[in-house]
Order: sequence, then C-alpha cells, then structure tokens
Amino acid sequence: MDSAVLDFLAATIRIATPLMLAAMGGIISERAGVFAVGLEGMMLAGAFGAAAGTFLTGSTAIGIASSIGCGALVGLTVAVVAVRFRADQMVTGLAANALVAGLTSFLLRGVIGHGRTPVIHTALLDPWPVPGLSAIPVIGSLLFQQPPLTYLAFTATVPLYWFLVNSHAGLLLRAAGENPAAAYSVGANPAKIRTVATIAGAAITGLGGAVLVLQQVGTFSDGMTGGRGFLALAAIIVGRWMPFGTMAACLVFGAAEAMHLWVQVLGLPVSSYIVQMLPYLLALAVLAAWGRSVVMPAAIGVAYGDPDRS
Amino acid sequence: MSADIGQPARIRSPLLAVHPSTWRTIFAMAAGLGVTALLILSVGADPLTAYRTIALGAFGSLERVTYGLNRATPYILCGIGVSLCFRAKVINIGGEGQIAIGGLCATWVALTWPIANPAIAIGSAALGGIAGGMIWASLAGGIHLGRGVNEVLVTLLMNFIAVLLVAEALHSWIGEIGAGFPQSPMLTANYRLPKLIAGTDLHIGILFALVAAILANIVLWCTSLGFAWRIFGESRMAARYAGFSRGRLTIGVMALAGGLAGLAGAIEVMGIHYRLIEGFSKGFGFNAIAVALLAALKPWAVIPAGLFFGFLETGTQAMQRQIGVPSSLVIVIQGVTMLLVLAAMGGLRPKGGS
Repeated sequence: MDSAVLDFLAATIRIATPLMLAAMGGIISERAGVFAVGLEGMMLAGAFGAAAGTFLTGSTAIGIASSIGCGALVGLTVAVVAVRFRADQMVTGLAANALVAGLTSFLLRGVIGHGRTPVIHTALLDPWPVPGLSAIPVIGSLLFQQPPLTYLAFTATVPLYWFLVNSHAGLLLRAAGENPAAAYSVGANPAKIRTVATIAGAAITGLGGAVLVLQQVGTFSDGMTGGRGFLALAAIIVGRWMPFGTMAACLVFGAAEAMHLWVQVLGLPVSSYIVQMLPYLLALAVLAAWGRSVVMPAAIGVAYGDPDRS
Repeated sequence: MSADIGQPARIRSPLLAVHPSTWRTIFAMAAGLGVTALLILSVGADPLTAYRTIALGAFGSLERVTYGLNRATPYILCGIGVSLCFRAKVINIGGEGQIAIGGLCATWVALTWPIANPAIAIGSAALGGIAGGMIWASLAGGIHLGRGVNEVLVTLLMNFIAVLLVAEALHSWIGEIGAGFPQSPMLTANYRLPKLIAGTDLHIGILFALVAAILANIVLWCTSLGFAWRIFGESRMAARYAGFSRGRLTIGVMALAGGLAGLAGAIEVMGIHYRLIEGFSKGFGFNAIAVALLAALKPWAVIPAGLFFGFLETGTQAMQRQIGVPSSLVIVIQGVTMLLVLAAMGGLRPKGGS
C-alpha cells in the first residue's frame, strides 16, 4: 500500500484514540441521563493528571492512575451539581470545563512551576506489538503495534456494548436515562445510578487525556484538549449512543483531521485553517443530516427528583 | 442544604428579607473567594496580600479603573445576550464565535470604506459587527431548529469554525502584508472609538453596554416579546398553547444575543486593538456565561456582574505581575461561582422540569 495512505490511516487511528475514550465515557453518562458536555474538562483534567503524575513520580503507571482519578473528580463535581442539586446539565458541564481549564493552568504554574510555566516532559508509552499479529504485512504495523491505551480504547467497545445491552446493571443504567420513574419502581435509585455513571464515565474520559499526554504529545499545555471533548460529544450522537457506531464516528472525525496529511502530500492549495475546520464542519454536517432521526435517551437532561423526598 | 436557599415562602426572619437570589449570589461569591484563598495558600502566597494586590490592581489608579471598565464592556454586552437566551431556555454557547465574526465584519467594513465622518464610520462598522454576529447566531439557530440538532452542540462547533475563519482571514485577505503576526492593518483614526475620559484608555464602549443592559431589561419585563420569551423558557407547552412561534422566538433571541456579541467584537476591534488580531475573542463567550449566571439571568444585574469579572481580571493580572500568583485564578473563580450558582438555582426548579 502507498505509504501516504498508511500514514493517513495511522494518523486517523492516532487522532481517533483519545476521542474514543472520551466518547465511551460520555456514552455511559448520557445513557444514564446526564448530558456529557463536561467531556472536554474531564479530558483536560485527565491530561493534567497524567502529565503531573508522571512528571512528579517518574512512573507512567501512576500517571495513568492519576488521569483516571482527576477525570473522576470532575465527574464527581458534575454529578453533585447536576444530579444532587438538579442543575441544568448543559451549563453545569460548561462550568466544569471552565473550572478545569482555570485550575489546571493555575496548578501547572503555581504548584508545579512555582510561579513560572514549567517545562514538563513525560516519557511516551512504548508500543506493545501483539505477538504474531504484528508480523502481518501492512495491517500488522497499522493495528497491532500500538501503545497500550490504543488497544484499550478500541477493545473497550465490546464489553461496553455487552454491559449496555445484555447486563442487568446496564439495563438499569439505561432505564435511569430513559425513564427514571420506571427504574425507581423496580427498586433502583436513579439518582445514584446517574451519579455513579457520571463518575465512571468521567474516569474513562480522563484516560482519553492520558492518551494525549502519554502517547502523543509528551507534555501538558493549557487547554490542550482543544475541543476534542466536544467532537466526542458529537460522535456519541452520530453513533446513536452505542459503542460501535460511536467508534465509527470517531474514526471518521479522526480521518477528517488527518486530511491535512493529504493536503501536504498532494500539495493542494488549501489553507491549513480550512483543513483544521474539517472535523468541526463534518460533525456539524453529519449532525444536521441525521439530526431529525436521532432519538436521544428520553430522560436525558431531565433532572430526577426522588419521589419520596421533596 | 442549599436546596432551601431561595424559597421565598420559607424565609420568615426580617433579617433575611433580602431577595433570595441576592443571598445566593453573595454566597456563591463568598465561597468563590474561599476556594481562591485555599488555592493562593497552595502556591505559598498570603491570601490577604493577594487580595490587596487584586484590589489595588483593579482600583489602584484611574488608569486601572478605566482598564477594568474596558475589560467589562464585552462581558456585559455578551452577558446580556446569554441571560436573555437562558431565560428562554435556549442554551446559546456561541458567544465566542459571534464575537469573532462580529470583529471580523467590523474590521472588513472599516478597511473597505474610507468614511471620513467618525460617527458614520464607527456606526457602520458597529452595524457590520452586529450584522455579522446576528447572521452567525441565526445560522446556528437555523441548524438547531431546521435539523433538530441540539443548540449547545451547534453553537460550540460553530465557535471553533468562527475562530478558524478569523485566523484564515488574517492569514489571507484581511491580514497585514509583511507583519510578523496574524493581524489586520491598523484602522484609520475615524474608525477608532472616542475616549470617554481624555488622556485615559476608557472608550465609549461601556456606554453601549449600559444602554443595552437597560434596554434588554425593558424588553424582558415590559414588552410582549420579553413575556413570550419568559413563557417559552418556563414551559414550551404553555408557549405553544399561547400560540407563540417556537422558531421565531428561538431565532429571535439567538439573533439578539448574536448581535450584542457581534457589537462586543466590533468594540474590541475599534476601541482596544484598533485592528483585528488572532485570538482576540478567546474565552469571552464563556466569561459571558459566568457573568449571566452570576447575574441570576437578570439583564440589569449583568452590569455589576460584568464589572465584577472585568475588575477581577485586571486585578489578578496585577497580582500575577507583582506576587507571581497565576492569573488563571480568575477562571477558577468563574468556574466555582458558576457551579455554585447553578447548584443553588437547580434546587429551585420544579421537579422534573422541562
């Protein structure tokens, strides 16, 4: 295969990986009935956690754990405000994004850099070639010589699908998002399900931030997620809140962003800013094209009040 | 807990007879300051010293005050639009993009037509900005209504597109040739906003913001349009029974917010930078949401809320210069305040609200 095509496909997978993890986390939260507008902030918190954890301890394992923890903390914040206090979920997510943007920037300079912008370099995770499969020509190097979190991002779709569709817990989770009163009537606590789902989803989304830092950039900078959380949000809608569809959408958005390689290779007279617009334009176009037929979880965005209280 | 805050019927004590939303705001700001103090401590600085440098940086001299007023101008203008949209439960997050497009259109007008009369020149560039913001917002509203895409997502995605459009314009047709930076050529003197106080940086933009806030308050509370928006926000069903057009109300309130944001962009260009620069709109849209929420979605209250964040920003910038505490503290304060106000407001809403 042409090396330009290979580069393009490799870039597509690379760009789609953090989107995937963010979107998988978002599916869990949105299926339980909580809009995941905070994905951007959860991801940024995860990126910060990964960078700070790895930089301060020298261990990427601690970096990954701290990205999960930082993501979950943002999830906890969103859950408290949007579920416990039944605030508007959209605006809560945005407020959480602002809080994380400010806090990570502040802590980076104030605590790690002691007043200046520190230069953080973290080691990148090594690829883990899959024995046997990685030797397959073309496909082997493309799919089976990836760093660990990439495998995790793509294989997580299977257990997530099984969980949502086949497990009892997944059924209750979807009930909390479709009809919380029905979930309540069978003895589940929708508010609790939503809280747990938001935190768990945020933890997975935080891993998406770790991918950016530990597999791609090797450092942390202010607002480095740069709208990826919002693209993941669009991917969830395009993928109809199901893991495989969402994975396809993430790959398509990844391909749109990887287009800049084609523009370079073919020497097309298109400005780089127009090319950078492509994922957003594509997301908007796909949402607009399919918008009418999208059926959201019925009770998403609707605050649930415990019928026994208040 | 704070689910009890702000339920007027339960407040009996005359001591607490202030409007509940005022308590809510005071509580949110106090908690914001508390969190801030912890963060300042965490970087090894003294919170009281930090607050003093913030206060001096905001109000220490006439120059600092004028700087803060200029800073607050776009926040107020944009915050008014957000508060009206949120009243109508149209979650328009597109402030940043609308400011960017407004600034671009105003610059285009200013660089295209050499109008000699300053009043006409400034007026036409401001109208250009307003029109740009309105069109951008209406486009978002159109996609939202026509194609059933959530307005939050549409406006968010369009923010990125708008900012990239401005960058593209600055790197091609509107950019200054030979400048090392992505910026447009300087505007001629007749396109620059006159100063309100001679010898300072304070331009007349703040007057636009004050007038807009008062007008918005009148529209919201004293006109049938404002009434329709409020009904529309309280209950989509009631608005439909009353025969209000969902499309007209949504597009209307978004276009109005877009126009105000576009005006803010035009004012930034004509009053501060005297040219279009890359990234001039960064963060303004989100600040505007923080302002609107702190103002409890009351258009008149956007004035003090916008001033609060404007002065807070100039103050924290001084703090960063003088004692090295990062000025991103201001974003943390905004985030914390927003979350607290949201939590307090959330408890007020009827169960299972729309």
